[in-house]
Amino acid sequence: MEKRKGLLSIAAVTMASVLVLSGCGSNNEGGNAASNGGNAAESGASNSGASNSGKVEKKELTFMFRGGTDEQKAYTKVVEKFEADHPGVDVKIVVTAADQYATKLKAAITGKKVPDVFYYNYGDLRAYVNSGVLMDITQYVEGNSNVDITQVWDKGVNLYRYDGQVVGQGQLYGLPKDLGPFALGYNKTMFEKAGIPLPDKDKPYTFDEFIEVNKKLTQDTNGDGKADQYGTGFNVNWSLQSFVWSNGADWIDETGTKVTIDDPKFAEALQYFADMQNVHKITPSIEDAQTLDTYQRWMKGELAFFPVGPWDMPTYEKLPFDYDLIPYPVGSTGKTATWVGSLGIGVSNNTKFPQEAAELVTYLTASQEGMQMLVDAKVQIPNLKDMAATWAADTATKPANKQEFLDIVNDYGRSLPGERTYNAEWYNLFFTDIQPVLDGKVTAAEYVKSEQPKMQKLLDKANEAEEKSKK
Amino acid sequence: METKSNLYRKEKYYGYLFILAPVLGFLIFGLFPTLYSVYSSFTDMDGLGQMNWIGLENYTELFQDELFYKAMFNTLFMMIGIPIGLILALLLALGLNRGIWGTTAFRVIYYIPVISSLAAISILWQWAYNGDYGLVNQFLDLFGIEGPNWLADKYTVKPAIMLMAIWKGLGYTMLLYLAAIQSVPKDYYEAAELDGANSWQAFWNITWPMVRPVTFFLVVTNIIGGSQIFTEINIMTSTGGPEYSSASVVFYIWQKAFGNFQMGYASAMSVVLGLFIFIVTLIQFRLDKSSDNA
Repeated sequence: MEKRKGLLSIAAVTMASVLVLSGCGSNNEGGNAASNGGNAAESGASNSGASNSGKVEKKELTFMFRGGTDEQKAYTKVVEKFEADHPGVDVKIVVTAADQYATKLKAAITGKKVPDVFYYNYGDLRAYVNSGVLMDITQYVEGNSNVDITQVWDKGVNLYRYDGQVVGQGQLYGLPKDLGPFALGYNKTMFEKAGIPLPDKDKPYTFDEFIEVNKKLTQDTNGDGKADQYGTGFNVNWSLQSFVWSNGADWIDETGTKVTIDDPKFAEALQYFADMQNVHKITPSIEDAQTLDTYQRWMKGELAFFPVGPWDMPTYEKLPFDYDLIPYPVGSTGKTATWVGSLGIGVSNNTKFPQEAAELVTYLTASQEGMQMLVDAKVQIPNLKDMAATWAADTATKPANKQEFLDIVNDYGRSLPGERTYNAEWYNLFFTDIQPVLDGKVTAAEYVKSEQPKMQKLLDKANEAEEKSKK
Repeated sequence: METKSNLYRKEKYYGYLFILAPVLGFLIFGLFPTLYSVYSSFTDMDGLGQMNWIGLENYTELFQDELFYKAMFNTLFMMIGIPIGLILALLLALGLNRGIWGTTAFRVIYYIPVISSLAAISILWQWAYNGDYGLVNQFLDLFGIEGPNWLADKYTVKPAIMLMAIWKGLGYTMLLYLAAIQSVPKDYYEAAELDGANSWQAFWNITWPMVRPVTFFLVVTNIIGGSQIFTEINIMTSTGGPEYSSASVVFYIWQKAFGNFQMGYASAMSVVLGLFIFIVTLIQFRLDKSSDNA
């Protein structure tokens, strides 16, 4: 009996640890769902193939994408129009919430069930091309008489060109779904109430002027002794870039091999950013600094300045105050800077119908009819230059200065540093550890000095991985 | 012995047939992935197609990885919630066992979180913990306490997640304890009463030892489960919390595997985690056995 029990416990222990090990793979709900989705799509394809035998063969594509509800609706509609325009092509839509998408796509790739057409982050371009996930669609795009690729923002298209060494030149491995310029907005109504001259969209504030204006606008409007209207409340993850860049510094050097945050100009900009809260007190206090809260405060009209992306426009249209766009304040370079994001649409290297898949990509990104539907749904700024000009000329709807978005896209917008390297681990570490600086417990100068070697190590690893993947 | 009947032989095969489904399931979905992840932990697998043998490189790197130690510490720290949860659940079970008014209602109330989706609960608590508008801070405000921004402060984020996990597991633990308490033969208590034992003595000398197998089972499964904490962290602090203060080992594994194309490295971490759990569980079984004999 004793012995039996011993055996039993060993068996139980083995089972337990096996469960854990395999659990690490399967614990991930997203991964499972994605591969299930892939299976479902595949069995769907074979079913319809069987039932249609005898008739014209249906060409079935899967299209995997993400987005909020408005975006999902808009894209589904365009896909339906595409199907109507292309008889014989049937598009199966797989859609996920934004935060689960990356995991699902990676699980699909690992499981070798890549959808025919899918969104991907342009930062992953090299990894996906080097490993043969993405198809070169140059010939299909250039051979398509319905679209004029020169009409799409060069900056956007170039994010998806890669010659095996450098991004920005060579073959096309996708097209931008859209470009996401991150502009600065201000609460016009608040300025008018406070009797302060409106910001000039052609002449950005200097760092010092920006603090001054913010101080004037940080007020106690109901007289309870506590400020209830603030200058601003930036999220470090998305807004620090602008201040660092316009001060002449960056996270990484031109060659993409060296982390350059230990530059004094970088520390200066970071300190400036942290001081907004700790020294100048023009933002809600530390306890309230979570993004959600500053976002809600902005929408309640409690903040004077807040970042605005094109995706915010449908929501901000309903704000109880008037707002407009301006360039970010400028540091020592005298030039404003901000980032422009992008999401690409690519074609799987294993698709059975490359022609149709590429056609769907161009339809969604570069065709007049497709783009017009998306712009009308107000989910993005136009990809096509002509259409964008008409769109920006409409100053009757908020924000009046839509041109600022186009200037960012055309002129001064940059890619986020993490997207310029093989993976973004080194860049993310910067933000993981930043809280003590924002809380004023560590100076920016100390932080960049201690953080640089850690980030450099991860960047070296990313570059090593890239070299390896090229083979 | 050699005269086994036909029926016996036939039934033996049926027996194998019956267990075939779970055994096959285990081999395909349990054992094979496990062996595969052990194998890939010795490679530079990136999840996109590349997979070269690199020997122990992942492991040597792992033992110098600051974030891995941090994630390991966070995971262990959050296990402090396990004994707290057990004690609370036992107290609740004792209370409900007395047949107080509304027992059924209480059982339902405590069991609802158990059957709710963990993802939904995490989102709910994320709102509750919001620094400005959260229920938790509004409640504290009633007593004039200004609550911290729970999930954005590196000192409160782990206790906050722990608290939620305790709340979520309470019903299940309580139900097991309740069943164990109710299966204790009544004559033990009667005998103790005759001998003049007070209620504390009755609890300590009868109830507690009698529910020990349940306690053991709960400790083992909770530690195994606690080592794999992921969903609530991924949802409530999607970047691993301020200064990585809420990232668990599984969260770090997930980040490496699905964020940074380092499947091989992630596999090495899961092997280490698996071994860790294996050893801890083994020790627990040993301890349980030795106290059996004592």
